[in-house]
Amino acid sequence: MHFQGKAWVFGRNVNTDLIFPKMWFRPTYEPGEMASHLMVGIDEDFPNKVARGDLIVGGQNFGCGSSREEAAAAMKEAGIAAVVAPSFGRLFTRNAINVGLPIITSPRIDEEIQQGDQVEIDLSAGRLRNLRSGYETRLPPMAPESLKLIADGGIANYTRRVLEQRRAAKG
Amino acid sequence: MHAISKIIARHAGRDSVEVGEIVNVTPDYVMLNDRGAARASDLLGKMGGEKVHSPDQVVVVFDHHYPPIRQQDSVSQKKTREWIKQQGIAKFHAGEGIGHVLFPEKGYAFPGALIFGTDSHTVTNSALGCVATGLGHSDIASYLALGYNWLKVPEVIRFDLHGSFRPGVYAKDIALRIAQLYGEDAAPYLGVEFAGPLVATMPMAERLVLCNMVIDFGAKTGYIQPDETTARFMAERAPGRQWTAETTDSARDYGRIVDLNVSQIEPLVAVPHDLSTIRGASELGDVRIDEAIFGTCTGGRIDDFRVAAAIMRGKKLAPHTRMMINPGSRETYLKAMHEGLIDIMVEAGATIGVPGCGPCSGCHQGMLAPAENAITNASRNFKGRFGSPEAFAYVASSATVAASAIAGHIVSPAEAELRQGL
Repeated sequence: MHFQGKAWVFGRNVNTDLIFPKMWFRPTYEPGEMASHLMVGIDEDFPNKVARGDLIVGGQNFGCGSSREEAAAAMKEAGIAAVVAPSFGRLFTRNAINVGLPIITSPRIDEEIQQGDQVEIDLSAGRLRNLRSGYETRLPPMAPESLKLIADGGIANYTRRVLEQRRAAKG
Repeated sequence: MHAISKIIARHAGRDSVEVGEIVNVTPDYVMLNDRGAARASDLLGKMGGEKVHSPDQVVVVFDHHYPPIRQQDSVSQKKTREWIKQQGIAKFHAGEGIGHVLFPEKGYAFPGALIFGTDSHTVTNSALGCVATGLGHSDIASYLALGYNWLKVPEVIRFDLHGSFRPGVYAKDIALRIAQLYGEDAAPYLGVEFAGPLVATMPMAERLVLCNMVIDFGAKTGYIQPDETTARFMAERAPGRQWTAETTDSARDYGRIVDLNVSQIEPLVAVPHDLSTIRGASELGDVRIDEAIFGTCTGGRIDDFRVAAAIMRGKKLAPHTRMMINPGSRETYLKAMHEGLIDIMVEAGATIGVPGCGPCSGCHQGMLAPAENAITNASRNFKGRFGSPEAFAYVASSATVAASAIAGHIVSPAEAELRQGL
């Protein structure tokens, strides 16, 4: 997996209440609805500014707090290519993998990338490069199971496939 | 292996697992709250799943938006009621309280269990010596379809607590002290075990507070080794339940062991808007309190009501302060009534709401206006958590919240007692 995109940089301990405020919770969502509320707890205009293929760069403990899957799902829906931070909240990590959003841990990355930088990531080779500054770093390998879920497009596709296999086995 | 690894191994049908390994596990119980049930049933359909794989393992709790105040929630709860009937899900609790309070109360949580829930504070249950963690909605939908889910075996950090509590200090203050010392990411992805002589003397209610807060240090699950207190709790709560207490093999099974003497801890407060900025309650006397928010999965148990009512007995809320109370469960509500605690709090001027999450996460009555200050015994003070994003929330123990509601500004419960000559 290989992406290049513009970075949007956020701070430390950004919680999921900010990424997707609860006032936008719905029992079901229309296509595009979650993306239209992405990051509005921090920047109300963010959904209008962000473009498909952009990257989100967070500070330490990015996506901490509430289990709300919408935080990761809204990023996926907005076309965010990947989210990168020195560390992440556990549930956010899990939700990102499950919705098929590449989530990448890289120490001090928030110090190496500035707002608007063009960043290139090669997930297969495990490499990240800041095209403005020339900063380059190796990425820690992701668990093969997680990588597979992301490549599958998330847990929904995985589940669909297992269900089909079970039905086929039953004949 | 650590007990947490053994629990995960057993639920993966394995003899052993290694830290960092990802395994498929079958949980004992999975909690779906109202939002979780609505989203997960919707996603289950989108994943092509028609039947819930293990309906007897699913517990549905309406706690966030019950009773509904928005029509979208009434509609979605009606759909969920129809869905659980059609799926044969019999374990259903509406208006009975918060899932994380009900699970230990009703015996769904037990030593050695593996519990998932559609809410980050599912970790609360781990005080019983089980593995309990929150999952996302797609995660839960996938579990509903397949009957298992993936889980990474966590490294475990142990906090050895010793010393003795100063007056007015509770388990909540210890949790805030850990946040102060080690930050909101004190334990990213880790299991957090509480041990040591102080934990041995702690009642289950205080243990539940400690484990409730581990998510707010970034942890996957808490853990407390089952002991006499646990066994007595289980005998009272779920006498027929079979359970196994796993044990940890050696000190080498911990990534880190941290020693924490609580004797120096004073009543603490997390100031807006995160849990890493902690101050002594006695330093914050200039913070006016507009609303005290009392209850939640952190501070809505009968023990919290006893502590608060003892402070509020015969007193009135400060004239400019209001107090919103939501019991954590129906049982807590009834006990607090029978013990006369509700009388004390209502006579002081508090408003009692339905057992449930209350204003925490902005679900129910008691929303804050811009520029207002609230003090709460909930676990989070995030921006916008209790209404307006321009409001300010301070997180403290039940005692500090009750004392501050009477004083009208933040006050240490230890000082409040001194001043009142108690």
